[in-house]
Amino acid sequence: MGFVIKPNINSSSFHLSGRSFFIRRRQKKKKKKTRRGEMAEDQKKKSCRFWIWALSSVVFRLILISFPGNLNLSSRPEVSTPLTSIRRLAEGYWLKQASMSPYAGSMYHGSPLLLSVLGPLTVQRIKGQPSHLLCSLVFVIADILSAMLLRGIGKKLQMAYGLNARLLGLLKSSRDKGILPCGDIAALVYLWNPFTIVSCVGLSTSPIENLAVILALFGAVTRRVPLAAFGLVIATHLSLYPATLTIPIVIILGYGLDAPPIKLFLQTRSVENEESSTPTVSKQPKLKQTTRLPFLWKTVAHFLFWVLLWSLCVLVLCAFSLNKYGGLDEMFKRTYGFILSIEDLSPNIGVFWYFFAEVFDFFRNFFLIVFHVNILFMLLPLAIRLKHRPCFLAFIYLAISSILKSYPSVGDSSLYLSLWALFVNELVDMKFSFFLFCGYLGISLLSPVMHNLWIWRGTGNANFYFGNAIGYACFQIVFVVESVSAMLNHDRALKRCINTNHGEVKN
Amino acid sequence: MAADNRYEEEEVRTDDGSPITKPRPIVRLGIFLVAHSPVFSVVFSAAGVLALLLLPLLAKNTYISENALMPGSARSMLSNRDASDGSKLVKDIKNFRLNHEGQGVEVQRLIGKYMSEMVAEVYYQKFQPEGNQFHPLHFFSGPASYTLLRNVSCASYGVNVVGIIRAPRGDGKESIVLVTPYDFINGGDYEDLSLGVVSSLFSLLSRVTWLSKDIIWLVADSRYGDYRPVAAWLAEYHTPSFKVSDQLKCDELNTADNFRRAGTVAAALVLKVDGRSERFEDILSIYADASNGQMPNLDLINVVNYLAVHRQGFHVKVEKVVSLLSSSWLKIVGEIFEAVGKVAHTLNPDWKFGIPAAEYIEGSATLASSLYSQAFGIPTGPHGAFRDYQVDAITLKISPGFPPDSKARQHDFFLRGSQLLEGTIRSVNNLLEKFHQSFFLYLLTSPSKFISVGVYMIAFALLVASLPMVAASLYVDGCKALTKSTHNSAENFKSWKWLDAAKQVFALHLLGFIVTLLPYFICQVPGQHSPRNRSIMWGTTSSLLLVTFVTIPGCSPFSSRLHGTNWAILKSVTISAAFIGLCLMSIINFATAEIGALLLVPTCLLAQPIKPALRSRRVKSLLGAFCSMVLVTIGFPVIFFAITKGLVGEGLVGLSLGGEFWTWLESLWAWKSATYLYIGMVHLPCWLLCVCILFHPS
Repeated sequence: MGFVIKPNINSSSFHLSGRSFFIRRRQKKKKKKTRRGEMAEDQKKKSCRFWIWALSSVVFRLILISFPGNLNLSSRPEVSTPLTSIRRLAEGYWLKQASMSPYAGSMYHGSPLLLSVLGPLTVQRIKGQPSHLLCSLVFVIADILSAMLLRGIGKKLQMAYGLNARLLGLLKSSRDKGILPCGDIAALVYLWNPFTIVSCVGLSTSPIENLAVILALFGAVTRRVPLAAFGLVIATHLSLYPATLTIPIVIILGYGLDAPPIKLFLQTRSVENEESSTPTVSKQPKLKQTTRLPFLWKTVAHFLFWVLLWSLCVLVLCAFSLNKYGGLDEMFKRTYGFILSIEDLSPNIGVFWYFFAEVFDFFRNFFLIVFHVNILFMLLPLAIRLKHRPCFLAFIYLAISSILKSYPSVGDSSLYLSLWALFVNELVDMKFSFFLFCGYLGISLLSPVMHNLWIWRGTGNANFYFGNAIGYACFQIVFVVESVSAMLNHDRALKRCINTNHGEVKN
Repeated sequence: MAADNRYEEEEVRTDDGSPITKPRPIVRLGIFLVAHSPVFSVVFSAAGVLALLLLPLLAKNTYISENALMPGSARSMLSNRDASDGSKLVKDIKNFRLNHEGQGVEVQRLIGKYMSEMVAEVYYQKFQPEGNQFHPLHFFSGPASYTLLRNVSCASYGVNVVGIIRAPRGDGKESIVLVTPYDFINGGDYEDLSLGVVSSLFSLLSRVTWLSKDIIWLVADSRYGDYRPVAAWLAEYHTPSFKVSDQLKCDELNTADNFRRAGTVAAALVLKVDGRSERFEDILSIYADASNGQMPNLDLINVVNYLAVHRQGFHVKVEKVVSLLSSSWLKIVGEIFEAVGKVAHTLNPDWKFGIPAAEYIEGSATLASSLYSQAFGIPTGPHGAFRDYQVDAITLKISPGFPPDSKARQHDFFLRGSQLLEGTIRSVNNLLEKFHQSFFLYLLTSPSKFISVGVYMIAFALLVASLPMVAASLYVDGCKALTKSTHNSAENFKSWKWLDAAKQVFALHLLGFIVTLLPYFICQVPGQHSPRNRSIMWGTTSSLLLVTFVTIPGCSPFSSRLHGTNWAILKSVTISAAFIGLCLMSIINFATAEIGALLLVPTCLLAQPIKPALRSRRVKSLLGAFCSMVLVTIGFPVIFFAITKGLVGEGLVGLSLGGEFWTWLESLWAWKSATYLYIGMVHLPCWLLCVCILFHPS
């Protein structure tokens, strides 16, 4: 047994508990066999608890839905943007019913497909119930589905995490007791995040956009190529920014799930080879002695084909539904054009509205390019640095686009926050977690106060609300930076850990 | 071997890369502050209190910020004829009252007749007096989004009389409102005078050519208080209801379909004349505080103050806390500041910050009153109703220096009073935009001195600055202690140890939220209950809830022994919650936050488990434990209320205290004061957490 970690490692100076996890697990392993039965029971209990919490979140949503008039959330700028507001959607639907273009009057800027699906529900009323009840129910269902898909993604990631740890020789048992059930955590974070609840109850369409994004990731993780392509196409169609997810999804399909850098495996392998007496622990296919993983061109091509097919479908459907009102041309101008040219300058939690309200008209185009290129600039460097962790890369992309979006809402934050929870195992050592938590809390409480001060009381001005938006952006940036650095530190710690192991083995 | 070398190289690189780097100066400064947090927290808190005491010294003289106002630049056009018009109205009303006792709407009709004689459009508006309603969260919603149509009774309703003069140069899109609260049933002699002043002015304004904003004169029926009729009129003015109300059928006075409007209200002046002043001269008191510490634009006060002092010779004053004027400690502080100012002046003649001790005391008393009324969040007059619609308004209360039957001085009084109003209206009439130039956030230390937000925020910022520092240092300590004690436990997440404590803090805040909402349900309990009984109900349900919360495992701070939660982390999270709450409140209502910080900051900072202190039997720790006990006792809202009442001079004990407290809270939520929310959702939970820390089984 070459990889037994000796107890004295414990006293050596490891900072990162991601590592100490494995060590702890090893210490406990001796008693493990007797505990198998208990563990199964434990597992059952845990999943039972998960379902209770998930169900209670649904009940909580239903309670909130039953009195939306008092909450008045759907008119909050934090919740509904020009793109996601259900009021605008209802308006678009009415226009369409009146044989006018749904985009007339610059009211509606969403997808024509969403209009056909959700539009009839905005009109339907059940007697004695608050209006938009059916829409709310749709959003609740979308939330539940997203949570379940997140759970599925999390299970896969958890398995991959355990497998990699075993491959690296850091984890011996086949049962992953010390590994947190990241799928359950992510699903609960999604369901109980106040941002998600608010955007679900506040009747913004972001739950559906989030569902599409999560669907794409789920399809990629479970290697259901058509599903991944479908999710990606729909998400892009609904809100454009998820188009950036093409890169992580292609990496997932091409190289496989999140794993520590390939070098580490080679390192382990080389040491194993040196000690020929070592019995091969894993039944996995042997890694080649190259620094490259094989890229599955076939799957990716398959994926691209499906993307093309689905986009064709979507475009045909859109063209069909906008047949009389200007066709696809009109749709692109009113949806993507609206997103990219930032026509609506009503306040939101992003930073663009204020800037473009101030900027001189002849600089406008220049700054539009500058602001949008911001997102594009970051894509490639991040993809290179984090190519071994494509799911994490997807999270980073979503977080960045939620910061630099033209019409962000809290629904976007809820998406990336729950994706972040998928990596709790890797990110246990994230710094400033308490600071960030307080920051998010403070900002989200401050935002309605600032809005009240500006709009209702008249004692504040736009700077108050914009200052809040800047603070929010800063906290998000710190959050992203800390997540990335925690992930890179985790990789470094793994490497250090392996090196020490080998050193000991040799001695 | 080659491979080994490569690993070594990489190892070196990563070691260089991650852990041992010299932090940036700002980070080092932060670490320094956190490491010496006890010293700094004492220094900052003391500086905060000192800055609060220094505020009267830092007050600036007011100035007219908006150039368009130009107060006093035009000659008054008011003649004796107008003043005698006013006298005539007053005389008529008096005679009418002598002849007809307690009539329905006859006085209103009389006033209406006068108005229409002055070529004004006249209409009457009926309104219902409204009982106290519990709107805990309506602070965040806009005005009038919650008008409830309730069943109307014909037994009690009020009738406002409104006259509008259309401006010859205006387009009817802007207006200025004059309000005279008047009790039509049993109005006194002095109340008549306010009608006289405004009718003199009205008679002038109906003739002048320079008006560009319509003038609305609202004679508010103050039978049910000053505020309610004005609020009812404003609600109707801004949010017309298209339902035919049952009220219309109540009386012979037809008020249907004749409500008239005159565009956006640029400013409003409420004129009240009450009881005779103790001095010979007439005294003009200015009231400006609206709900939740909102103030009208400072320019409006400046204009009135300038005209009253420099043109009409009124003695202008703002409210002050009278008991502070004779306090000896304030006098000593004032003398110290005066002496320091003198010394500074001898050192450098350019340093002029010393003010005489008497002036300091005066300023402090006014400042205290300003802080108090803002913190209360209850408007000091009918002008408060205007602020809900973003209209700048103030109440002018004139106490004439003559008996009501002196005819000669009455004429002079009408002349001066309406000249003051004329000048103000002329200034506002010049405005092209709504008031925006001057300050909205300020505290007054005298009618002509103010402290702007940039200055008074410093005192607050210093006071709360110690909170994040102490929270950070406690967090670091707690993490270390926790790592030491539980280095074998499976839950050793370096960065997530605060989650348990956060759960407890959240649970108690949730409890606070529920307790805050409880009065809504208590008010729904059928049957008549005295305030005392209601407060008893409230107290029992709250304590029951607290007990339930404590028994739930995982979220009660008392069960933390099982989880091994460190009290330092709990305290750190508590302090962070208090910090967020105080900062939020400082934006909503500065004065509440300031007073709340004076209470909460020392309590939070000093809270420590008393068990170890008692065990150690050292004088220092015993003293600390005693101090924190005293602070926690004072910090409980009911006890603090009793102490303030005691300071004012009303001793309250036992159950009557509960009743008083309930009535006080009822007034808070009746006025939609955010102070109530603050007490329930920030102060109470943080106080409870401090108690938990005190009795922590560590």
